[in-house]
Amino acid sequence: MKLSKDGWSGLAVAAASLFLFALTLGLKDNPLVPIGPGYYPRIVLAITAAFALALVVSDFLSEKSAKVREPLNYLLVVEMFALFGLYVGALPYLGFRISTFLYVAASNALLDLPKSAKGWGRVLLVAAITTVVVYYVFERYLTVLMPRGRWTDF
Amino acid sequence: MFELLGAGIVGMLQVKYLVPLFIGTLIGVVGGALPGITITMTVIVVLPFTFGLEPLQGLACMIGVYVGGETGGLITSCLLGIPGKPSAVATTFDGFPMARNGEPGRALWLGIWASILGGLLGAVVLVAATGPLAQLALKFGPWEYFALFVLALSMVAGLVESSLIKGLLSGALGCVVTVLGNDPVMGQPRLALGISWLEGGIPFLPVLIGVFAFSQIMGELERFSDKTQAAVNAAINLAVSHVAVLWEIVSRPFLLLWSTFIGLVIGVLPAIGGSAANMLAYDQAKKFSSRPEKFGSGIPEGIIASEASNNANVAGSLVTIMAFGIPGDAVTAVMLGALTIHGIQSGPLFISQNATLAYGMFAAYILAHPLVLILLLFGVRWVLRIVIVPKSILFPVVLVLCVVGAYALGNSMATVYVLLVSGLFGYLMVKFGYPLAPFILGVILGDQIEINLVRSLMTDSNLWLFVTRPISALLLAMAAASIVLSLWQHRRMQKKSAVAAGAADF
Repeated sequence: MKLSKDGWSGLAVAAASLFLFALTLGLKDNPLVPIGPGYYPRIVLAITAAFALALVVSDFLSEKSAKVREPLNYLLVVEMFALFGLYVGALPYLGFRISTFLYVAASNALLDLPKSAKGWGRVLLVAAITTVVVYYVFERYLTVLMPRGRWTDF
Repeated sequence: MFELLGAGIVGMLQVKYLVPLFIGTLIGVVGGALPGITITMTVIVVLPFTFGLEPLQGLACMIGVYVGGETGGLITSCLLGIPGKPSAVATTFDGFPMARNGEPGRALWLGIWASILGGLLGAVVLVAATGPLAQLALKFGPWEYFALFVLALSMVAGLVESSLIKGLLSGALGCVVTVLGNDPVMGQPRLALGISWLEGGIPFLPVLIGVFAFSQIMGELERFSDKTQAAVNAAINLAVSHVAVLWEIVSRPFLLLWSTFIGLVIGVLPAIGGSAANMLAYDQAKKFSSRPEKFGSGIPEGIIASEASNNANVAGSLVTIMAFGIPGDAVTAVMLGALTIHGIQSGPLFISQNATLAYGMFAAYILAHPLVLILLLFGVRWVLRIVIVPKSILFPVVLVLCVVGAYALGNSMATVYVLLVSGLFGYLMVKFGYPLAPFILGVILGDQIEINLVRSLMTDSNLWLFVTRPISALLLAMAAASIVLSLWQHRRMQKKSAVAAGAADF
């Protein structure tokens, strides 16, 4: 009998838990406390692995029925994750203001592609307003020092 | 006692106290409604502004933020499906489906009225019962806390409709997150996997923001189209009969009282907070319901339970800090700091030595509720502008706020990286059918479970104490019973489904 995504996810979690469990065996005990830093993680990881294996077994024994799947736009999800990843990656190099402006403009355009110069103007305006408002509210009034760019010093 | 409370309320109605209370409430509502901006962060921001005020003025302002934030957080939970704060997570389960089913006004006002009633009931009970509740909490040792946290996790895992194993596994995965990075007892590094930003451990707030924001937004993007946008905008009609909504709440007196009680008890117990209270109340509402299978589809019981409990939780946290000097959560920890700055020692003698201040705080808490109501009656449309903004604009802005919220927690990119990884992980969890609530509770409680386990073993290495101490034994028995009950409920539901499928075949 084939495994479904439940079974595969259970296998992945079990493997990760056992890997981490093995790492806890190398943790040194602290003489100040009766149990070492690995004691609780070992309990948690063993329980996690046991539940994960139970899920695999349960999936293996269950009857599978073919489900009708609705078409979903995974490409847009991947693109948004990629854009967000680029944004987070760019923050320490470009700084908050430049990277936020670029991120908001790019993701806004991705979700609602402008078809005219006016549309592009709206995208840039939204990005500028978001960046300026968030920056000023947090940096000036809420005393949160936003990231400066290593490359831009801005 | 009632004379002092009356005097406190009259005093608080003076302009010099009412204005800071009103401003704090307004800031709290807005801060609570903004995803990625927690009440803790809002109250930390307010703190420096209170140093120049009288102690009661400053505390009134912070209490306003706390109460306003607890109520404001339900706005985004109901209308965006993204909890504005951790204690509104369970509100999302039924509030958002109800709003999506075309009743956003009903969802919103059920939450607001339940918050107000739960909060006021909490105040009445706690003003009268501070002493006995404090005595009960004083009896708790690390064994009892450990057992209580295990009970909370096991109960929340039972929330899962599809698979109990997945619920339990999800809770365990949440605990795994807390073992990465460092040991919370001695601060010893462990399991950082060579990743520098993991070395300090993983704070739960960026995990929570990432998991909920990304799973929600990316889930919406899977079905994203201009048509969807138009439908959502058209659905934002908040017209509602307040009498009907109030009747929906008061016609369920047991639900309201039990949820309030849960909120109070969890609030009194240190370090648990509203995030656990709303989950537990939701779970209890589901277990006592005659239609548990409807939970998560947009029914009023889920919203009432969650919101009544989290506002009552504020009252519980306030009593804990006033009676014992122990912060019930991060917000009251900031308040404790404010008291200390003003040279006031909170603890068992606080009420007797500072009666005016103590009853003024009670009065501020009580009066903050009608202020929230007035603010939302006249200003909810203004707060809701975040909802009618097109999603192509709203989603990037919300994600930017999530980044800012995560970054501001430690002024460090480490928490932003945690946010990114958590977002990806949360989205994958949803795609693989894992429930998020037990995972989040595991992340919140994991450290506390470990700390109390170590404390109990440091006090006495005898593990049998967990089952021989009466309260601890009772709580652990309840945890086991909760799992058994969930198993029984799942089996019963499966049988019902099988019978229904069989009947359909005919």
